[in-house]
Amino acid sequence: MPEVELINIAKRFGKVTASADINLKVADGEYVTILGPSGCGKTTLIRMIAGLIEPSEGKVFIAGKDMTNVPIEERDIGYVFQNIALFPHLTALGNVAFGPIVKDMSEEEVKSVPQRYLEMVKLLDRMGMFPDELSGGEQQKVSLARALASGAKLLLLDEPLSALDARVRMDLRYELRRITKDLGLTVIHVTHDQEEAMTVSDRIVLMRNGRIVESNTPEALYLSPQNLFTANFIGETNLLEGVVKEVLPDRSLVELRDGTVVEAKPSKFRRGDAVVLSIRPERVHPANEGLNSVIIKITYMGTYIRITVESDSEDTMLFDVSTSEDRVYSVGDRVNLIWSKRSGILYPRPPEGVEEAIKLE
Amino acid sequence: MKRMDWVVDFISRKGFRKGWTVFIIAFFLFFVVIPTLYVVTYAFTDWSAIETTVLSKPETMSVIVNAVAASFEIAAIVTVIDFLAGLPVAWILVRKEFRGKEFLDTLIDMPLAVPTAALGFSAAVFWVMNPDPVPFSFSVISSPFFLIILLHIVFSYPYMVRSLAAILEEIDDTYEVAGRTLGASRLTAARTITLPLFRAGLATGVILCFSRSMSETGGTMIALSTMANLGIGEAANFFTGSTLIGEWRSLVENDPTYAPSLAFVSILLIALALILLIILKLVIMKFHLPLRKVWPMQEKMLSRGIFPKMKDGGALLFLALIVLIPSFFIFTYVLFSDPASLDMGALSYALGYSFLVAGVVTVIDIALGIPFALYITKHRDRASSNVLDVLVNVPLIVPTAALGYSLFLFWGSTGLTGGASFVVLTLAHVAFTYPLVVRNVAGAVEEIDPSFEETARTLGAKPIQSFHRVLYPLIKSSILAGAIMAFTRSLGETGATQAVLGSNALTAPVYIVSLVKADELYQAGLACIILIIVSYIFMLVLRYLTKKRKEAI
Ligand SMILES: Nc1ncnc2c1ncn2[C@@H]1O[C@H](COP(=O)(O)OP(=O)(O)OP(=O)(O)O)[C@@H](O)[C@H]1O
Ligand SMILES: [Mg+2]
Repeated sequence: MPEVELINIAKRFGKVTASADINLKVADGEYVTILGPSGCGKTTLIRMIAGLIEPSEGKVFIAGKDMTNVPIEERDIGYVFQNIALFPHLTALGNVAFGPIVKDMSEEEVKSVPQRYLEMVKLLDRMGMFPDELSGGEQQKVSLARALASGAKLLLLDEPLSALDARVRMDLRYELRRITKDLGLTVIHVTHDQEEAMTVSDRIVLMRNGRIVESNTPEALYLSPQNLFTANFIGETNLLEGVVKEVLPDRSLVELRDGTVVEAKPSKFRRGDAVVLSIRPERVHPANEGLNSVIIKITYMGTYIRITVESDSEDTMLFDVSTSEDRVYSVGDRVNLIWSKRSGILYPRPPEGVEEAIKLE
Repeated sequence: MKRMDWVVDFISRKGFRKGWTVFIIAFFLFFVVIPTLYVVTYAFTDWSAIETTVLSKPETMSVIVNAVAASFEIAAIVTVIDFLAGLPVAWILVRKEFRGKEFLDTLIDMPLAVPTAALGFSAAVFWVMNPDPVPFSFSVISSPFFLIILLHIVFSYPYMVRSLAAILEEIDDTYEVAGRTLGASRLTAARTITLPLFRAGLATGVILCFSRSMSETGGTMIALSTMANLGIGEAANFFTGSTLIGEWRSLVENDPTYAPSLAFVSILLIALALILLIILKLVIMKFHLPLRKVWPMQEKMLSRGIFPKMKDGGALLFLALIVLIPSFFIFTYVLFSDPASLDMGALSYALGYSFLVAGVVTVIDIALGIPFALYITKHRDRASSNVLDVLVNVPLIVPTAALGYSLFLFWGSTGLTGGASFVVLTLAHVAFTYPLVVRNVAGAVEEIDPSFEETARTLGAKPIQSFHRVLYPLIKSSILAGAIMAFTRSLGETGATQAVLGSNALTAPVYIVSLVKADELYQAGLACIILIIVSYIFMLVLRYLTKKRKEAI
């Protein structure tokens, strides 16, 4: 069964290091997303798994077998390309039928399997059309059906939903997860969209600059990121710079630049350590006391209002208030902000500076 | 600066542009198409002569039919072999990375640098069975038919590889990779995905090879007379359509009764070539390889282990043994024959004359061919430009000897052939080299996204400026390719030159042919070598100059 294991993978293109020190295990039947900013080496990584390129170092194992020297066509994978790559001379049906034909399935299956998967992506009525007659989103769905129809147990998806509009993308996300779980497939899904990664996967592997930063379930990555980059990349967060004043069993106390003392989770830091406090915007609330700030921007977001403030501690912060709230906010107003001690997480202040540590590359 | 602005303004005026377009099209019609097809008028003006001296004479008819049939058979066999042997090499050139790839790339073009007259001689000496063979020669062929096949492969092969490689380059290899992720072996993926995508390249390659084989005259005549000189008498009586025209063309000077037969063969060849090529093109473009026919197991087996290596090795061996060595065998020949003295004065005069003609021809082709190519690609929506696009292929597929005879009749009717032989020769060469520039440039322009130029125009550039700044840098390499083809084609052409000016033409290939005919083989060999070296150096310099400029951008 197709569990995937990557051992010490590295890939260099001349001077560019596209992957380094990659060690990753994907269990049979697991749905893993590889998430990271553009150019971080996601495509390179799954191309190595598929055998489209050779790693410069390290080994790829699929179903326990060393894949070095195993050609693409014998790895038994389904691959959805970032640039879609439908065969331009074949119709949608011809494209989807390609896998069953070259895998020498029976006459019967060659007829039924492609139609089943086109039906699944709701494109049965478009099956006679050529790729250049289909919209970008339809092409992407056909390409998905094509990968599924080849019967592979390991599915590699490179941004499979990027050409779809927000609505269809959302529908197809759930559909994708449902189908692959039904079929018991192992999926490695590449995306740069953190919301997509949160909603479809059993586990997210977060990459930056060719390396794996952190890998965990969506909840764990959101609720207790081990790392400043993760905290900032997954979801949104406010980062406040300060110095540890005191660590108590039930909370940590941090002194900000203006001398205000705020609370966070208990931690292993010691008094005097330079830290960064991460607090998600939805956990920050206006109150009668707390961090003194001035509103500098108000954005209407639909169900909530996003407010940007400049605090006396010279940190820029975001927080949200419900649209239905009575109080009227306007730019220039002063507000005091508080949050629960359990929702603030402390990280060591990075020597290269916060900006550098959360930079996308 | 002020004056330049004035010029740009002037030539950007609507009236001027209209006049220029009319001029370009008129030039094409009057100097390329009409002279090429002029011989056809003979059928209308003097049909009775054809009837009495050709159609009613069975022996003449059988000579004609045999020659024409031989032409078609040879062209068909050559094209098939070119395709089978050329495809793996095109593949290697485009899809594989290895050291020495550039070297292989240049090698493919080498036969283009050798004038066909020299090629004919070289290949004949290499292949023809000979009681006293030149050292290292292969000397196994005793049939003129096979000799001509081998010869025609030499100079059509580069066209096939180039056309296939050009299209292969355009086809994104992710399609093939996608096929392989779906479980197709290399061979299955190549056959079912990539091959159907490059029908256009296949059509170009087939048309170029087929017409090159059909139309080539000079090299074929030399190969046959060399063969006859080497003791195989049969060769003297073997004719292809083109060599028959060449032969009768030389006879007609003293015996005008050959004129109707000559016109008849020419018309016949033109008509058949046109019909066949239209059919070929339709068949290639419409024919679908049945995808459902897939043999996964067999093809998988053929995709790995020793088979791909055998295929690549075989194709490269073919390139070396059938194409390259026979092209350059003439060097060996000269090395191993008894020296004789060569009339250097006559040779250098002929060389100078040939280079002058080729140079002027290339300049005219470029100056008037680029605007024409732009016109036909920019007005795809107009029927007239599509018709022009088809017409521009005509000189490529018309046998050069027939074309030459047609040009002779046309220019003869103007009375210019006597005094202004340089002008007539130049215009004749323009007729069959012009399409090479147009095809190359039009092909490149078509690949370029029009939005580049449109963007330049929205930024305020006049059409001439946007051509100069945007389009020209992008198509420069195709212009160069077209120019090199036109130049070498003019330099190496024998049949058409002879047909236009008779045997008193003074170009280098004609001079070499006359040496071979006089059985002065050593001198002929030496003259060929000098011609090869001079043209090779010329091409190297040209490549070097344009390469340098490319880097400067
Ligand atoms: N064939 C190549 N040659 C040279 N550099 C390459 C090559 N392929 C990728 N790279 C480089 O490797 C890095 C990672 O590229 P990759 O395509 O894996 O990024 P990605 O994470 O998939 O980005 P995106 O989200 O934009 O698709 C990039 O800096 C890219 O420029
Ligand atoms: Mg990518």
